[in-house]
This record gives sequence, structure tokens and C-alpha cells, in this order.
Amino acid sequence: MKTKLIAALVSTLALTGCGTSNNAGASAAPTQATTVTVYAASSLTKTFTELGKEFEAANPGTKVVFSFGASSTLAEQITAGAPADVFASASKKSMDAVAAEIPESKVFASNRVVVGYPVEKALTAVTDLNSATIKWIQCDHQVPCGAAADAALKAEGIAGVPISLEPDVKSVATKLKAGEVDAAIIYITDVIAAGSEFAALEFSDQAKATTKYPIGVSIKASSAAQRFVDFVLSPSGQKVLSAAGFGGAK
Amino acid sequence: MLTAIAVAGLLVVLLPLLALLTRVPWQNLFTELSSESSINALKVSVTSSLLAATIALVLGVPLAWYLARGPKRVTRIVRPVVISPLVLPPTVAGLALLTLMGRNGLIGKLIYEQTNWAMPFTWTAVVFAGVFVGMPFLVLVVESAFRQVPVEVEETAQTLGANPNKVFWRISVPLARGGITSGLVLAWARALGEFGATLTFAGSMPGVTRTLPMEVYNAFEVDPQAAYSISALLVLVAITVVYLLKSKLIQAFAG
Repeated sequence: MKTKLIAALVSTLALTGCGTSNNAGASAAPTQATTVTVYAASSLTKTFTELGKEFEAANPGTKVVFSFGASSTLAEQITAGAPADVFASASKKSMDAVAAEIPESKVFASNRVVVGYPVEKALTAVTDLNSATIKWIQCDHQVPCGAAADAALKAEGIAGVPISLEPDVKSVATKLKAGEVDAAIIYITDVIAAGSEFAALEFSDQAKATTKYPIGVSIKASSAAQRFVDFVLSPSGQKVLSAAGFGGAK
Repeated sequence: MLTAIAVAGLLVVLLPLLALLTRVPWQNLFTELSSESSINALKVSVTSSLLAATIALVLGVPLAWYLARGPKRVTRIVRPVVISPLVLPPTVAGLALLTLMGRNGLIGKLIYEQTNWAMPFTWTAVVFAGVFVGMPFLVLVVESAFRQVPVEVEETAQTLGANPNKVFWRISVPLARGGITSGLVLAWARALGEFGATLTFAGSMPGVTRTLPMEVYNAFEVDPQAAYSISALLVLVAITVVYLLKSKLIQAFAG
């Protein structure tokens, strides 16, 4: 036990020493590329890809790679040892699930689920979802967008059932855009991204329909990961998010 | 050296399966498998895969016959097309089905406009996906079986007055029955295991379109015990199927 501890200390010192010498030579030698691996909720696909590009432009030598998916799935992968430096979740619940790897997080945005529909369908109220002729889909119950949908539907007193519980919001939005369904419970940001051919109906209980997005850095991550998080929380990062329709951090 | 590589190869396949089996809650296996969500998925999977295998049999055997005996310049082109779903990424298969049968699909649009019914998100879609991915296995194995039927036997039957139809039913099919059985079982197993194409094309609704593989995917986040239990069942089915078929599949690929 003791020898192991000493060995660990020695290797840590060796690594630190190595790092210092690298930093010292950084001005002369070409900077070594650092990669930040970001696991992010499906609903962030477009905005985070954009934020990643801006971040890379502002931080030469740092590369950001993304893995997008349902927050609940990503949390499961992180718990199983996936190499995530940063996790941006669409719900507190999925962030709490990775507390061992990511003990601290900060809310950086909010979003709300709505009933998205193609404008030619001319839905008039959320209660249209009760109609048997309206075929609609939502996210599965454990996925943040599904949990928010369940809560909002319950508050609205909707008894109608979807024709599919999809694994993530991207899959829901894709099928709505493909014209395969009459309506879908997706985020307002997805409706905005889908363009003018799609419209949204709001749930009356906005609080139930809203989900907050926490972001956190893995205990194993490098300082570049924290810089990416800081960038997301910075005014320029927040600008990109609010342009896409996300709510602020508060 | 060769033995060491062979053992490494074996371990790559064996270890993940063993690892999976260590997580299976054997004592509660039956309870996990008889939960409402598992039973629902079991029903969807069993019914849809059996029907898919039957359709694959009805359509696939004549197709395999044609590939085995038809003019080479045609079969040379048709065969790769028929077999392609075997190596196609399942999501691509799902997209292909959607572009054909979806509300905006080539055929689906006409059906939707006439009847207001669309195939995606229905149990029928699960069956269709099963046929699409399962039939190539059947065709591959059955074609190989037909090729092993001596042409002379068929020709003799014909000279004795049997018409081609009769030759097919009375000579070729009985002689190829081993291959047909294998092909049927493989097509069924492939349909049973389908995930990507089904998810893209049929969605995932408990009791309607959510199959066992989808239930595993879903349960892994919600109820890992159930996911491991269903996985154990599917591993058991897979090993049983391959054991029963022995080397039929390999013969088909080699033939």
C-alpha cells in the first residue's frame, strides 16, 4: 500500500515536472494539440457544434470533439468509464447520476418542451393530442425531454398516448421533419431550428415543461476542459445559446 | 503461435458473452422476464419475427431457386442486391424502408393519401423490417442448397414428363429441405435481433413496436437487471440457433 502510494506520488511529480518543461518550451516548439471531449445532450447538437468551432478559433491548438445523445444514455456511458472531459446534460437528474466523475456542475441554459407540428396541420390547442387522428411522438420517459413531456402532459390533463417513445430528442425531431407524424413533443429550440414550416404550441404549465441544463468538468479532465465550460458560460457563449432559443442560466 | 492467435480470437468473442452472463440475476431471471414490459416486448418480438420469417420463406424460396437456376447474366446482378441488407448498416435499412413506405415515401405517400394510413410506427412496420433484413439469410442458404441438387435429377424428372412446377415442388424443394429449414431459422433469428432498422422505421412503443432488443436498450438505463435478463435470453437463443444449424451457414457462404 505504502509503496504504491509512493509510486503514485513519484509518477505524479514526474508528470508535473514533464508538464512544466513542456510549458517552458511551448513558446519555441509548436504547441501540442489538446483535445477536449464533450458529452452533450442531443438538443445541444447544433449550438454546441457552433460553440466548439468558436472555442477552437479562440484557442488555437485545442480541439473539441463531441458525443451527442440522450443525457440519460450519456450518463450511463460516463458511469461505465467513457472518456468525457465535459458533460452538458439536459437535466439535473442525469448530471446527478455522474456525481462520482463530475462532482460539480453549473446551470448554463434552460429549455422547454412544446408541441411542435408542421404548419399545414394547423393544430389549435395542446388538447388536440387527445384526438385519435393526430399521430404524435415524444422522447422515452427516462430521457430528459421525455420526463419534461410527461410532466407537462399530466399538468395539461392529456390522456392521449404517443405512437412512439423515441430514444432521444434528435430522433423525435427528425421524424417530425420527415413528415412521418402530425405532431411531436420537442424542445422549442428544435422547432426554431426546424424552420418556418414548423410551429409550436406552448403548454400552459411552463414550469413543468421547462428543463435546466447543467454543465460540469470531469475530475480527470485537463484545464482546457474548464476553459470550454467557462466559454459556454461567458457572454459570447450565452449569445449563441439564446440565439438558438435557449433560456438563460437563471 | 497459430494456436495463440486462435485462442485470442476465441477470447474476443467468448469474454464479452461471459462478462454479460456474470451480470445476469439468475435467481430473479424468471421474475425479470415476466415483468409487464418484458412480456410486452416478448410478444411483439415473437409474433413479428415469426410472421417475418414466414413471409421470407414464401418469397425467398422461389427467389433463391431463380438465383440458383436462372440465367447467369441476370443473377449476377440480382444476387448482390438481394443479399445486400445482410451487410447494410441497420439504420440505413431503416431509412430505406422509410423512404419507400413513409408518409412521404414512394409507395407510402399513395397509400397515405388514399387511406390515411401509414406503415411507420405500426406492428406491420416491425414485420416489414424483419423481412427486409432476414430474407437475405434465407435466400443465401437456400440458393446454396438448390445448387447442391443435381441438375441431372431435375432433367430426368422433366424427360419423364414432369412440368417445371412439378419438378420444383416434388424434386428440388424436398432435396433442399435441410437448407430451407436452416434458412428459415436464420431469417427468424435475424428478424428477432433487428434493432436499428426497426427503431428508425417503426419507432419504439411498448406493446406495439418495442421489440426485445429495443427493450434491452431502454431497460439498460431504467432497469439494468431486466436488460441483463433479456440479454441472457437472447444469447441463449443465438447459441441454440447456431448449434442447431451447425455449419449450414458456413457452407452457404463457401458454396
